[in-house]
Amino acid sequence: MNPVLTTCGFCSCGCALYIESAAAARVASLYPSANHPVSSGRLCMKGWNATPAVLGVDRLTRPLIRKRDRLEPASWDEAISFTASSLKRFISDIGPQSVGIIGSAKTTNEECYSLARLARGVIGTPNIDGACRLYDASIIHALLQTTGTAAPQVDVNAVAHAGSILVVGANVMEQLAHVGSRIEDAADNGCKVVAVDPRTSRLAPHTSLFLHPYPGADLIWARALVKAIIDRKLYVDSAPEAPGFEELRSSLDEAAGGLKAACGIDAGEIMEMAETLAENPPLVVMFGLGVLQQLQSTEIVKALADVAILLGGSVMPLRGQNNAQGACDLGLVCDLLPGYALLTNPAARKVWEVIWDCQLPAKPGMSAVDMIRACQSGEIKGLMVFGENVALSAPSTEESLEALDRVEFLAVSDLYLTETARLADVVFPACSFLEKDGTFTNIERRVQRVRRAFEPMGDSRSDLDIIADLASALGAEFPRDPRKVMAEIATSVSLYKGVSYDKLDESWGQQWPAGGAKAKLAPVSVGVAAKDEAYPFRIIASRINYHQQTGTMSARSSVLAREYPETYAELNEADAEGLGLRSGRPIRISSKSGSLVRTLMLSDSVPLGCVHVPHFFGGDSPNMLASYECDPVSGVPAYKALAVNVEAVK
Amino acid sequence: MKASETWVLKKTDVSKFFAGVAKEMRLVAPRYLFGGDVTFGVVESPGEIAWDYGHVIYPPKRFLLPHYEDMFRYECGPPRRIRLEAINEAPPQAILGIRSCDVSAIRFQEKFFGSPIVDPYYKARSDSTVLFSLVCNAPPKKECFCICCDAGPYLNAGFDVQLTDLGDRFLYEIGSEKGTKATEAGASMLVKAGSDDIAERRRIEVQADLLFETTAYLAKAIDFISADEVPDEIWEELGSTCFRCGACTNLCPVCTCYTVDDRAEADGSFTRCRSWDSCQYAGFTREASGHNPRPTFGSRVQRRFYHKTSYPYIMRDGRHGCVGCGRCISACLTKLGVPDVVKRIRRGMHKYLPAQDRAAEV
Repeated sequence: MNPVLTTCGFCSCGCALYIESAAAARVASLYPSANHPVSSGRLCMKGWNATPAVLGVDRLTRPLIRKRDRLEPASWDEAISFTASSLKRFISDIGPQSVGIIGSAKTTNEECYSLARLARGVIGTPNIDGACRLYDASIIHALLQTTGTAAPQVDVNAVAHAGSILVVGANVMEQLAHVGSRIEDAADNGCKVVAVDPRTSRLAPHTSLFLHPYPGADLIWARALVKAIIDRKLYVDSAPEAPGFEELRSSLDEAAGGLKAACGIDAGEIMEMAETLAENPPLVVMFGLGVLQQLQSTEIVKALADVAILLGGSVMPLRGQNNAQGACDLGLVCDLLPGYALLTNPAARKVWEVIWDCQLPAKPGMSAVDMIRACQSGEIKGLMVFGENVALSAPSTEESLEALDRVEFLAVSDLYLTETARLADVVFPACSFLEKDGTFTNIERRVQRVRRAFEPMGDSRSDLDIIADLASALGAEFPRDPRKVMAEIATSVSLYKGVSYDKLDESWGQQWPAGGAKAKLAPVSVGVAAKDEAYPFRIIASRINYHQQTGTMSARSSVLAREYPETYAELNEADAEGLGLRSGRPIRISSKSGSLVRTLMLSDSVPLGCVHVPHFFGGDSPNMLASYECDPVSGVPAYKALAVNVEAVK
Repeated sequence: MKASETWVLKKTDVSKFFAGVAKEMRLVAPRYLFGGDVTFGVVESPGEIAWDYGHVIYPPKRFLLPHYEDMFRYECGPPRRIRLEAINEAPPQAILGIRSCDVSAIRFQEKFFGSPIVDPYYKARSDSTVLFSLVCNAPPKKECFCICCDAGPYLNAGFDVQLTDLGDRFLYEIGSEKGTKATEAGASMLVKAGSDDIAERRRIEVQADLLFETTAYLAKAIDFISADEVPDEIWEELGSTCFRCGACTNLCPVCTCYTVDDRAEADGSFTRCRSWDSCQYAGFTREASGHNPRPTFGSRVQRRFYHKTSYPYIMRDGRHGCVGCGRCISACLTKLGVPDVVKRIRRGMHKYLPAQDRAAEV
């Protein structure tokens, strides 16, 4: 019954909450910490309803193995040894690069680190990547090359004291409630909030300027903004001394053509935005999945980082998942080692070869999307997916499902029998964040304790145990005590230096430092907004308040799930009239890669020529409309601004 | 020792006194958790009690109306048999150190759950609960406005026992038969209150009354809301900033709404579970047909205030549904606490209704 203090496992705000358990898997009470710097006595709807979501009655409680085309209960020994023998066979027959591993941004730091070590240090495959590839990996290299830190530079509470805030492509009030709440506090204190989003979001009541670019045209206006700041000399005095200033200035020389026609924002609005941001320091530049999942995402992030550097401000990428930060910090990235060391750097490789006692291939591995495609081509023979429902979160759902079905061996570790797990040869029942110990790193780089409030349901195990079981079956011994894993991380990853469970238990976690890196301005390339006559509408995909990712967790809470019982899509009334579509009737939204049917709703907040498609549970994600086209630098699929057609369902 | 008698309990005797109470019932009291956080919980020994606490965000109402509760279990087995098993946990308990606002809220809930249909779960718990309230010598936090709601910082009635911290001793007032009975075990430790004690208590009352920072001018809002005069624009404006988290109702010590789920158990039986629910969620009022009588966020904010502050409900419940605990202010991700909404309604009335129209209406 005693309250257990833990960290919420939904979004990256990382609220501290207390949970009291009644009987097995039964919650008695749940409430926020009053003194935690982020939660400060408050939770969002997902936090308040966290327990039913993860302790659902249909949780996997036993390992499953596919026999005669059916998933049948098996023992842990069988599941682990079957997996290990399959992996060994691929390694000896073809080589370790025939194995791919996709990790999760929901699991703990200790699990992410151990998984990276299992892949690179034990199996020897370069093909290890995280779920970040499907969401927000476009910030990593863009920020490493500009601010020097692949993370937000400001604390959540500091947002309330900003002089101006630029929010781009983020439904922040619904997705990161505490950041949204601090933006509102800032606005009440006189902060100028400038929002840039094709759709009017709930941020609107708090903004002094809300601009609506065409979907997919963000690089065009962002470049114009950088140019306006430089041309009008609105930058801070130190900006011209920053490395890359001249290179940036000359990159803006190339003519960009008619602004309004290209991006929907005119030169006057750009100037107003530039002046507002420059005149009201300190500036915080925020950007969300709206810009992180486009064809030119890396370029957009660089341009926005340039804006922050030029105006002496800070950046705050708005990453959704609870441990998006920690998963990337600790090496679930195909071309990076823990602590953001480049795999192509021989010195960094050498360091980790010593720590892990292994040989590291110099070539970066495949991205998560490439791994799924390689399942189809046969290049990947064995794929292991931990805690990410890639069947729904990967692009081009139809092809991806076929690839996952086709791969010779698929192992999935998850709480529930997800769409991905249904295709697996082995399913590991993982336990949730409420049933294990570990740490998450939140949006302000705060490493925080996750503490066990319930015994694991059934025979489920933590991913840390599952990874250690696999390592053991492959001949390596991994620590199973998360405290020991963190001790190893703290000695080998400089960002986590000094982090220990004893210290974490003394206060509200430990923040890793954001300062220190020297900022560098990056040149900005010209934005392109493609047009396609056959698919005249642009999609605006969003996540609504009550849902998280593919709904594996949030759909299990009856209170969350009932908020929107019917899937819908929104059109502007004028567009609906032009197409002869009626509210409440089904419409088909189709792209080159797929189509889905939704009930039509009309909304003023959706601009002309756009269709707003929120994410819902199970099989009906706008991601299915995306192709395998990715941002060439980050490999993040272009889920946003897809060209689609909208028609009535006959 | 009778109700309405006033005694004094020395602080050096407090642990011994409540150890005596603990022989008859469990003790529920504020305890320090991590980093200054405090919550009410079952204490093993009176030494754990945080007598110096200020306020808790998670109201002690959950010891009468649990956040999550199993009500009964049932099994549909052959032949055409339904086996029902009642689950009714109502251990005798004393809630120590509960603030006046939370006592007032529990009295409100007791009335609500007691008539016209008695809720047996709530009644069993409230029958076996004794409230030892603790006077606020000063408002424990800046959001407190109980003084505007006739619910604190001290009570004239409604408590079983009321304690006032007089420095080295507590003033010990008995307010009910339950209070008298719970006092019996430690009666020897109480001495009759003297005129000094009463005077000190009076001084504390006067001083506490002057220290409130938050005020809620409810009377006018009650008029506007009861007469349905508040324009929809104001409600929608309020609703437009709502984060839909439901904290205002979850943490409201007065709110009584709940939902029920039937949980499938591993052995084939089902458990009927009830948990707190919120009128701020769309799914709360949506009907089976899909029609929602409260379709917008604004209309749901309106619903919350209509329920809390309109005459029909005040007539039914005997008071308005706010005790001024301030939790809806501190738990809100935006500014939809009762005093803020009242303020915005007053301001909005000037904005949306021109003065001449208002005059014409009168």
